[in-house]
Amino acid sequence: MDLDTTPTTNTLPFRAADFSNLAEALDYAAQGVTGCNFYTGRGQLYAVISYERLRQEARTLARRFAGMGLERGARVALVAETHPDFLRYFFACQYAGLVPVPLPIPISLGGHQAYVEQLRAMLESCKAAVAIASTGFLPFLREATQSLDLRFVGNPGQFERLPESDCPLQPLQSEELAYIQYTSGSTRFPRGVMITQETVMSNLAGIIRHGVKMGPGDRCVSWLPFYHDMGFVGLVLVPVTSQVSVDYLGTRDFAMRPRQWLNLISRTRATISFGPPFGYELVERCLRPEEAARLDLSAWRVAGVGAEMIRPEPLRRFAEVLAPSGFDPRAFLACYGMAECSLAISFAPLSRGLAVDTIDADHLAKYKEARPVPDGGADKDLSPRTRSFVICGKPLPDFEVEIRDEQGRPLGERQSGVIHLRGPSVMSGYFGEPEITRQTLSEDGWLNTGDVGYRLGEELVITGRQKDLIIINGRNIWPQDLEYLAEQQPEVRTGDALAFSAPGPDGEETTVMVVQCREKDPAVQASLVSRLKQRVRSELGIDCYVELVPLHTLPRTSSGKLSRSKARQNFIETHDWHAPSVVAGDN
Amino acid sequence: MKQYPEILDALYEVLQPFVGEKGVVLSEDTALVGDLEIDSVKLLELMMEIEDRFDISVPINVLPDITTVKDLALKLEELLN
Repeated sequence: MDLDTTPTTNTLPFRAADFSNLAEALDYAAQGVTGCNFYTGRGQLYAVISYERLRQEARTLARRFAGMGLERGARVALVAETHPDFLRYFFACQYAGLVPVPLPIPISLGGHQAYVEQLRAMLESCKAAVAIASTGFLPFLREATQSLDLRFVGNPGQFERLPESDCPLQPLQSEELAYIQYTSGSTRFPRGVMITQETVMSNLAGIIRHGVKMGPGDRCVSWLPFYHDMGFVGLVLVPVTSQVSVDYLGTRDFAMRPRQWLNLISRTRATISFGPPFGYELVERCLRPEEAARLDLSAWRVAGVGAEMIRPEPLRRFAEVLAPSGFDPRAFLACYGMAECSLAISFAPLSRGLAVDTIDADHLAKYKEARPVPDGGADKDLSPRTRSFVICGKPLPDFEVEIRDEQGRPLGERQSGVIHLRGPSVMSGYFGEPEITRQTLSEDGWLNTGDVGYRLGEELVITGRQKDLIIINGRNIWPQDLEYLAEQQPEVRTGDALAFSAPGPDGEETTVMVVQCREKDPAVQASLVSRLKQRVRSELGIDCYVELVPLHTLPRTSSGKLSRSKARQNFIETHDWHAPSVVAGDN
Repeated sequence: MKQYPEILDALYEVLQPFVGEKGVVLSEDTALVGDLEIDSVKLLELMMEIEDRFDISVPINVLPDITTVKDLALKLEELLN
């Protein structure tokens, strides 16, 4: 059977997420003709689900949920593959008054045990009553739920054998949770961000009306994972609540064949697509100029960039390579956000392209002030050491923003400090973690983002992170997870390892772990380093530079706690990453 | 219908570029992560090579159970037949 994609042009008056809950948003979208389209890695359309059908099928599933007699607000964990089933079950939860919890998918070899443990930690954290995965992922889920008491664990086929109840459905209402998101937790110590219906709806409206200024005629393309805030809130919930059609490519399929992303945009004449800088780099590296000429990217008006620190160079190369396709570099839209604020905090102005602020790097490090360098540091001999940061734009109108110093005092323009914000799209807290919630979210509603930056007029510039999160290729990696792996080795004791990220030889974030080692034997040392690198690679799928140091040399804070930020600073000061031999050596 | 030895030979060819200068001699026991240092980015390159070479689609859920060349060859045999 030949499938047709859902059209771009809708039959329904456009509404910008002015709904009181997600079920109501889908009810409205279902009256039109738009919907979601799924493509294989080779670019073949394999599933089409209009919002009308999505609503029908979600409601049928919701009646099966209703028949299970779960308490209102019970958590339903969904292994979030890029597949129509995720959307069906997500919205079924909305209609049935249950809270969906998207779970991640691993992309690494040999990580079976680590993945099962990660799933178990999340299922325990959210106290899931139901867990659903495709047939392919069900064995992992079964293993993860062995010792847990769940009402149902199965695949969609098994779930669909449950009877439908004929009770009227009672969708989640505005003050109830919309979902719990595990984007921002470490794998071993997960933190579930709680987002209510009104919270997410306020952020969606901000994105649709102010950030991207969507309207009839827009169409989205996405390869971002459904378990990630940008992929899920930005490219699943935004399309539904703005009634636009969207084309999906699996994340792994994109990463294997990055060109498919652009082929799809060209083919569907999509206007909006987002990715981390890493995604643009992947494409730029593999694309040949003659291929660019065969693409038509002239309709692409918003090429959103976020989720990690933005380096302008690879994006400039991307735009250059793609010039023959009609790609307009002004389409680049730098943005800043996090799951704790539903998704989006700030967007650069539309059609500006990337704007960069070049500052004196030493002055910033010493005085925490972002002093601009004349001519962007073009005169190398006269200029101090500079750094260029992409300007991430104005916060959405509902946010109050303060940059604060270490004592919590608000700072002025160009003064660097920790970004705090308050507004209607901030989370209610971390599920079941009142203590950690209190450390992050004040009683009067201010969220400590943990990110460091400064204000430039009304716009935000992000320069780094206060919290120790490591972001590699758009993925959040928690240093605790790396340190834990080190502490599992017989030569290493608790408190002997510190992990952090440092700018690598070409400016890319590189993961580093410094480990105190009591072993003097070079053979044992070499074995420890290689074992650690291997464990990190198989559990987290990333490369890590491991350095052994003598005992009692890890830096501590004034209160005696181990300090990742000091270790990071020492490391950067003592390593000349511009000498490639350091990286390419026998490490 | 492809037989295991044939798959293994083809797999060695696909894997050769990943050996680089590591001095690893490929065998069934070679560990993909441990010996060939295949991280998540290299893994995707490898999967693309395999999919193109064998004209199959390797489902993402099989990856966590693959550690050695032999695991991978056996999985490919299963997928191909």
